[in-house]
Amino acid sequence: MTQFGDNVRAVREQLRQDDRRFSLRQVAFRIGVEPAYLSKVERGDVAPPSEATTVRLARELGEDPDVLLAMAGKVSGDLQQIIRKRPRLFADLIRQLREAPDDAILRVVREVRDGEW
Amino acid sequence: MIILENDTLDFRFPEVHEDARCSIGFQRTLRIPDDDTDYPLPPGLGPFPLRHLDDHAARLPDAWHRRGGVILPMHQAEAMWIDLSSECGYPFAVKIATGKICALSGDAWVNHLNRDPQDYVVLPEQPWLDGYCVERGVIRQFVAMPLGEGYTVEEQLSGVAAHGGLQVGAYPMKAERYGALLQEQSSMHYFGRMEAPRADMGLAPGGRMRQEIYDDPYGLDAWDQRHSSRCFITVANSMQWMAMTGEPPPLSPPTARTYTEMGLPWFEYYGGDAGAVAGAGKFKTISSVAKIAGAKGNPPLPDNEPIDVSHTVKLGRRGARQVREGAFTEVAGR
Repeated sequence: MTQFGDNVRAVREQLRQDDRRFSLRQVAFRIGVEPAYLSKVERGDVAPPSEATTVRLARELGEDPDVLLAMAGKVSGDLQQIIRKRPRLFADLIRQLREAPDDAILRVVREVRDGEW
Repeated sequence: MIILENDTLDFRFPEVHEDARCSIGFQRTLRIPDDDTDYPLPPGLGPFPLRHLDDHAARLPDAWHRRGGVILPMHQAEAMWIDLSSECGYPFAVKIATGKICALSGDAWVNHLNRDPQDYVVLPEQPWLDGYCVERGVIRQFVAMPLGEGYTVEEQLSGVAAHGGLQVGAYPMKAERYGALLQEQSSMHYFGRMEAPRADMGLAPGGRMRQEIYDDPYGLDAWDQRHSSRCFITVANSMQWMAMTGEPPPLSPPTARTYTEMGLPWFEYYGGDAGAVAGAGKFKTISSVAKIAGAKGNPPLPDNEPIDVSHTVKLGRRGARQVREGAFTEVAGR
């Protein structure tokens, strides 16, 4: 069992209690994989799926794709692209913020500026 | 604070409560015929792109830069709906205006909330807003038109073409009320349910649509008006968007007729027992885009013939209205 597989199964099973469309078979169909494969992913018998499949799975289950990708040990392609463009700057930034509390990190997030209107 | 994330405005109030987050997005959609028929809800065709206005300051008129906020591209006569969600189910009061005229009350923008008439929608009860609340259970669709030609609600009600665009403001529920609400609900199952200033775009009233704007079930005292955030969304036409951002604008959406003839669904929403607010008296005097164009002797709106909608999908509180974007660009062949 893995954190990724456990989490996927737990969320899917919870959704299935209210909506039968979240059966293993139907979710597998909607994200474009075989039910047997999704079952193995949930049990942790195989490595987490590709980035694209993980993102589809996250959207299907109403989960944050970045969080599910992190559980799968992956970083989304768009984030990789951002870091590759200015690797020294972003590596430094991430290391600086490693131990920072959430509210300190939120302070460096760029806000939409409100002006005069 | 407001953060721009994946073409969505993400309002966060960590100083009020860790769950106090809501998001507001702007969905591309079909323009329903402006023929005085009441249509069901059209689909979402994906979000309009949003960009920080400050990123393109060098190419903007000063008046736009002073407003702050974000920019969004719309084609002339294109329609939109506003996607409202509160991920954690934290209640919010959200004000929505076009050209600084409230889309619910028809009154000029003020930074506080009013209950009589109600000038805000309540999240998570209200999942979307498609237009101006003209009658109880009926809205007139938001349709982009150039400012200065007499079509926009701003010009029709204030007599001037000064602001254009859209304005939103979010007010979280007071933390203590939220705490009490969570306790009440612990025994129930709760679902969170450029130099061309004269070429500004504004929003005008289009065709009629069946949509209820829900009455505030909590009361004015529930909202924390000491903590609020607001944002001006400047609407740029396609040429301005290209010139400012260097990005191509989205392709024109398919027409309502093409969409319907493909057998694709429209939507009806049932919000349970929630009461709906009455239409704003001020909107009784406004005219729709098609009516104004007719009176001016302008060419009629393109693709405005009545359509027969037979395939509607009923949505409950957790129903998803969104339709995948890719299929439409392929279907429409644009």
